[in-house]
Amino acid sequence: MPAPISATLQTVPAVQAAIATGESLFLAGSRSALSQLPRGNWVGGTISYFMTGEGGLQAEDRIFVTRIPAFAIDVRAEDYGPQELARINGDAPAHGFTFLVLPAGTQVHRHFAEQAPSLDGFLLRPVVGWVTGVPVDRIGLDSPAVFNGRTGAILEERCAALHVELPPSKMADLDIVNIFESADGEVVRFDETGFHVSQCRIGGKPANLADYISENKISTEFPLVGDYNGSAINVSFQKVDPVARTVDLFAPVFPDVDYRFAKSVDDYEAAFVRQIAAEGGEPYFSCNCILNYLYGHLEGKRTGSITGPITFGEIAHQLLNQTMVRLYLRDI
Amino acid sequence: MLPDASHPVWEQIATGKRPLESRKPTVNLLIHSNKVRYEQDQSLANVRLIAEKTHHFFRQYEALFPAEVAQIVV
Repeated sequence: MPAPISATLQTVPAVQAAIATGESLFLAGSRSALSQLPRGNWVGGTISYFMTGEGGLQAEDRIFVTRIPAFAIDVRAEDYGPQELARINGDAPAHGFTFLVLPAGTQVHRHFAEQAPSLDGFLLRPVVGWVTGVPVDRIGLDSPAVFNGRTGAILEERCAALHVELPPSKMADLDIVNIFESADGEVVRFDETGFHVSQCRIGGKPANLADYISENKISTEFPLVGDYNGSAINVSFQKVDPVARTVDLFAPVFPDVDYRFAKSVDDYEAAFVRQIAAEGGEPYFSCNCILNYLYGHLEGKRTGSITGPITFGEIAHQLLNQTMVRLYLRDI
Repeated sequence: MLPDASHPVWEQIATGKRPLESRKPTVNLLIHSNKVRYEQDQSLANVRLIAEKTHHFFRQYEALFPAEVAQIVV
């Protein structure tokens, strides 16, 4: 008997069959796998890494399928350019949620990351999803993409959304699992929003972030942790250039946030299992960060019972890094 | 039951005079966003706008965040 097609890794023919029956789907897979799918009410993004019941793995020929439940009232696939992001919350249902996929390293990715917290409808229209990518040995060679199954478009400069309206008896509840916490170091502040930084203030004193990282031998495997009223939101390091004295990040820093360097984590698998057990509950959808997969050596290892794509950035209302995102559909 | 939108508790939350403790990221993102917006513009009109949005937020999420609602109910 075939496995049920709900939040599982599936073969291309199984996904083709599901689309043919009119299922609405949120998909993650390689460009070659997603390119074989017919038009239908689905959106997807390129990624080749997955957390499965058997552990983390890389697959080019399978697709991670999240099936929109039958109780959904309406499901609509749309796509948006970098100047159209304000429309996402406007198009979202008053009661429901939006799945979103953003192609990594693009203007639409940057604009969403910088603008999401100030868009009308922020938090009131839950947006959950991830940043698409390519196999790590193809970074810089291949382009991440998103797919709008309704139009058949493969998009490298736009994002794709699946707006899901829920019945009054259900509610979307977004949660994040962050295995990192702030170390006891001094507060780092930035004067401007951005992915590319040099000057900052550390402990209230002007400093160059690249210099500070080099001089203090800080591991950039672990993120900067922003303090949002007690919730930890990460910003991960992409590259430190000691000559240019600049730092590239995988998400923007904001001027109104206190950041600290993170405490080190030795065992990512154990840390996730601990955090997931503490929170409990089986999410409807989840994704986890490629940096956790790589730095934590999660290939072949499990993160509790959580499955989903392993991504180049996560979205829970706004862009996140090095974080597991979970979406629950609660009975209310 | 949540206080009416005109209740002063919403302006107290909007300005940070009534702190809310939460382990829920969605709530903490709201409180952080309120703080940023209030620091940018402390006019009465803006405080009322933030208070309205905060009321709207908790009316929408009342069923999900009972621990936070319990801190608001006066």
